[in-house]
Amino acid sequence: MLKRRSLIAFLVSCLFLSAAQAASTEADRLRSVIDAAIEAVYGECCADLPIEDKETRVNAILEDAYDLDVIIRRAIGRNWNLMNEKEQQQVLDLVKRLVVRTYVKAMQGTARPEVEMGKPVMITDNRMEIPSVIIVDETIVNVLYRLGKMQSGWQIYDIVAEDISVVSNYRQQIDDHFRKGNGQELIEKLTKLMNSQDIDEELKL
Amino acid sequence: MKNLSFKLITCLLSSWVCCLAVSLHAQGDFLSEEDFFEEDLGTGMEISDPLEVINRYIFVFNDFVYMKFLQPLADVYQAVTPDPVEKAAINFFNNLKYPVRLAGNLLQGRWEGAWVETGRFAINSTVGILGLFSPADKVDGFEPIPKEDIGQALGSWGIGEGPYLVLPLLGPSNLRDLGGLVGDRSVNPLDEPFSLIDDWNWEWRAALTGTEFTVSSPGLMERYLQLKGSAIDPYSSFKNGYTQFRRAAIRE
Repeated sequence: MLKRRSLIAFLVSCLFLSAAQAASTEADRLRSVIDAAIEAVYGECCADLPIEDKETRVNAILEDAYDLDVIIRRAIGRNWNLMNEKEQQQVLDLVKRLVVRTYVKAMQGTARPEVEMGKPVMITDNRMEIPSVIIVDETIVNVLYRLGKMQSGWQIYDIVAEDISVVSNYRQQIDDHFRKGNGQELIEKLTKLMNSQDIDEELKL
Repeated sequence: MKNLSFKLITCLLSSWVCCLAVSLHAQGDFLSEEDFFEEDLGTGMEISDPLEVINRYIFVFNDFVYMKFLQPLADVYQAVTPDPVEKAAINFFNNLKYPVRLAGNLLQGRWEGAWVETGRFAINSTVGILGLFSPADKVDGFEPIPKEDIGQALGSWGIGEGPYLVLPLLGPSNLRDLGGLVGDRSVNPLDEPFSLIDDWNWEWRAALTGTEFTVSSPGLMERYLQLKGSAIDPYSSFKNGYTQFRRAAIRE
């Protein structure tokens, strides 16, 4: 009887350990990806490169580690089915480029950020959250990474910066767009946005 | 011998079951892609926006003012002001907003928050030379805490946010926070229309307001440009960002 109990306890602890191990491994992986992306912008190798080259490097680092389509598909939500296959692929590519460009541009001209990773928290067996703190020029930004276990492995499905979910923010914009527009118009909007050199263009209604 | 075999078999069996369990745990139970991608985000991001047409016009007007006037002002201010002076000016105006933060804490029954804010105000106004410095940041128990205001207090009392509004020059808000803004001004001894200082003329008031506006312009513009630059539809992005931020502040 005692042996059976020990065996059950052993198996249960194995399961917990495997979950904790998964969380810890993913936190380490995320940390290394963030470090590599920061290095691609601030490192000695790259600091003087044109912004387009930095974008390419950061994109390669992120895509190598994570399937960025996951977070973008989450942002598009049900509107995905309102587009044909070609439009879907174009929107995925354009949003991906927009997000990476925004990330790189936001870091231009600022001091190298320091990143402190918090302890990962398993929300369920297939969802976890990894908190982090980014410090740039004495400004502290809390960023929470949400990861889900997909067939392709653990993928980032949302990033929450100072209580603002990136996915929810983009989904709002895309939902609002599809209330009046269609996939082709979204592609035109995104293309125009990607082609604009600066963000100080005047807004139009 | 029999006992040893039993132990060996048990050990092998348990290892095999353990490996199987770990492997099942690691490989199985994936999130279904279709359900996951179309999942309700659960943040209740329904935002009432019956005045969208008017709001969008005001948003475009604000954007014009920010880009044509506030951005150059912020650039010049940053260029001519040494970083320590910039920091001191931010601290000074931040310290002056103590009554608003105090009222926000008291109205929500956050006695500890009210105590911390009062302590910070006392330390920064004295040791920090009229709030130019923020030595309270390093005093145990008086580190910075999340800022509270009357709009948050109204939210914590269960008052709904009402329709989303874009205020001329001030930007995103909602009906409840507009009420909160009036409340914030009423508890601030320097702000009109409830100023407790009767005998200072409009020039001084304008100078104070103008200086505060200038001091806060670099930070405001940095955040504004970041959100605008990453937006497919800046209006929707600000509407969602503002609402998420305020709802989280009230929840906390």
